[in-house]
Amino acid sequence: MNQAAMKQADLAQLTRRLADIPADFLAEPRIAEHGEIVLPALVGDLLRMHGWQPSPDDLTPFVGGPARTERNRLALTSIAVWLLADASFIAAQASSAALLDVLHQLVGEMAGLTAADGFVIDAERREELVRAVLARLGMLPLGETAAQAADRLAAISAVQRRALLAASRAAEKRAREVREALERQLAAESADKWTRE
Amino acid sequence: MTPEALHRERFPTLSTDGQRMLDFMRNHPCAPAFRNASGNRLQAQEVLAQHAFEREIAAAPVGWSPGFAPDWVRVLMSHVFATVPHYRALGPVPRRLEDLATVARADFAADVAQFVPDDAPLERMIQFRTTGTTGHPLLIPSHPVVAARYAAFHKRALQRVGVTPRHGRGQVGVVLLGFQERCFTYVSVTPTMEESGLAKLNLHPADWRDPADRARYLDALAPEIVAGDPISFTEYLTLPLQHLPRALISVSMQLMPGLRAGLEARFGCPVLDIYSLNEVGPVGVFDAALGGHLLLQPRLYVEILDRAGRPAPPGVAGEVTVTGGFNFCLPLLRYRTGDFATLVDSAEGPVLRGLAGRQPVRYLTLHGWVNNIDITHALEPFPISHFNLHQHADRRITLRLAPAALGCAAPACRALEFLFGAGQVTVEALTARDKTRQYTSDLDGSRQ
Repeated sequence: MNQAAMKQADLAQLTRRLADIPADFLAEPRIAEHGEIVLPALVGDLLRMHGWQPSPDDLTPFVGGPARTERNRLALTSIAVWLLADASFIAAQASSAALLDVLHQLVGEMAGLTAADGFVIDAERREELVRAVLARLGMLPLGETAAQAADRLAAISAVQRRALLAASRAAEKRAREVREALERQLAAESADKWTRE
Repeated sequence: MTPEALHRERFPTLSTDGQRMLDFMRNHPCAPAFRNASGNRLQAQEVLAQHAFEREIAAAPVGWSPGFAPDWVRVLMSHVFATVPHYRALGPVPRRLEDLATVARADFAADVAQFVPDDAPLERMIQFRTTGTTGHPLLIPSHPVVAARYAAFHKRALQRVGVTPRHGRGQVGVVLLGFQERCFTYVSVTPTMEESGLAKLNLHPADWRDPADRARYLDALAPEIVAGDPISFTEYLTLPLQHLPRALISVSMQLMPGLRAGLEARFGCPVLDIYSLNEVGPVGVFDAALGGHLLLQPRLYVEILDRAGRPAPPGVAGEVTVTGGFNFCLPLLRYRTGDFATLVDSAEGPVLRGLAGRQPVRYLTLHGWVNNIDITHALEPFPISHFNLHQHADRRITLRLAPAALGCAAPACRALEFLFGAGQVTVEALTARDKTRQYTSDLDGSRQ
């Protein structure tokens, strides 16, 4: 996209918006009759704010599946909805498809790496989320060139990804060690209990 | 590892008195064949910590009422979400416990390593293997300190009936009884009780040179406490014993009132029926005056949930679901136990009523559908260790009784015919000695 045609938004103002998110948007996402935030309704309201009329199919990805895999994604979707309700995004007139892409694909990718509340609590993660959403919608942080914005997003994401990769490797190693510890002969030999179930 | 090093690992604080006790139990002329080895594995500082833990558990109230999670649950959730892989993957800490998805035995069976905290020590990790009645073999991660903690809850339960264990040096404190074809058996000492002896025995005659040695050996040990299950206690009742323990502790299966009465009459001591699970440890002790199992763990919060995971209305039975516990290798958040009960408050704390292993089963009787609790009531008068009641698709009933209980087949049959009709009940011998599903049915509608 031609940089001159790219819409801009105030990065500091958007990260502040994330930091000031109302508690309602951090409530439990509704999965299998549990939780308070009904994500399909929330996403539907956002799309209408942007001037679009969502179809039922548009909202299906926000119904959610098993909590183990879906809870964090839906929690981050709720945070992203709050972000995208900012006037600067509404003024940018993003397409329905682009908004849904952010809320489903981008949020899905980011939720796989970090707990959703990290994007509210941690200043660096707030910046990462804002920059990632702006990039996905073809927008720029105010005062930055496209190259600068791309570099900064890559840098902030790379640090996080390296840290997460290390954590993931450590977690795999730990799980392997736990399994080995459980299978040791001495573990099977057990220790004294006053009763045995 | 050399045999000496293994011995030191099993008994890090063993004194000459403790060794003498081990030798006495192992080398007694009437001793059975001990098939395994185990030990307390407690290091000196852990023995001191166990004393402190027992004092704390003896005094701490279960400070919550049904439906109101105590404050410590919030702290536990934060810690578990930060340190346990399964929960870390769920994202942010839920604001309320009720918002957290439950877990069940199948989740542990799939990969229990995902439930072990990052800070749980692995060097001395031990495991307890359980198959339960669902057929999923499961390894429960544990630690010698966790195993030792069981005693604190048993002492809390014993305290309620006026028994304070006091056997120490040169005496046997606890004997655990099994009655199975194959059984994990060993001798050990309890360092928090001045190295009093602890023996796990199998009463099955195949483990003994002479079946008569069973009574001779138990009399020689003269244990203060005898722990077992309804199956082993049924066999224990048949032995010509002179020694009377100060208390019996029954775990693993529902203790039927008839068997309890028989044990109380024979041994003249309190008989505690403790609801205990490998995943949770001792949960509650039965108290007839309270009408159920009084909860024992100050740091265990219990919810009763319906099938969809919603809190069951007060007084309605649902699945016993637990949060907390004392096993730092497996902290529990909303763990569905697979057992069903109602939860009521009492002056002494929360009480599980109508505890029934597994999901309740309904039976179609002459008077319509009844819950399996009514079957339990009908069979209460009889000294039955364990049984299975099955309703066939044609509504006929088969009652399978443990061989030792076949003597009461006729009156038990009559009691059931009152519910199901004359000629509708057949009695057979139950052959499986392991845990058995008590209630089964082929009828549609038997599961509510």
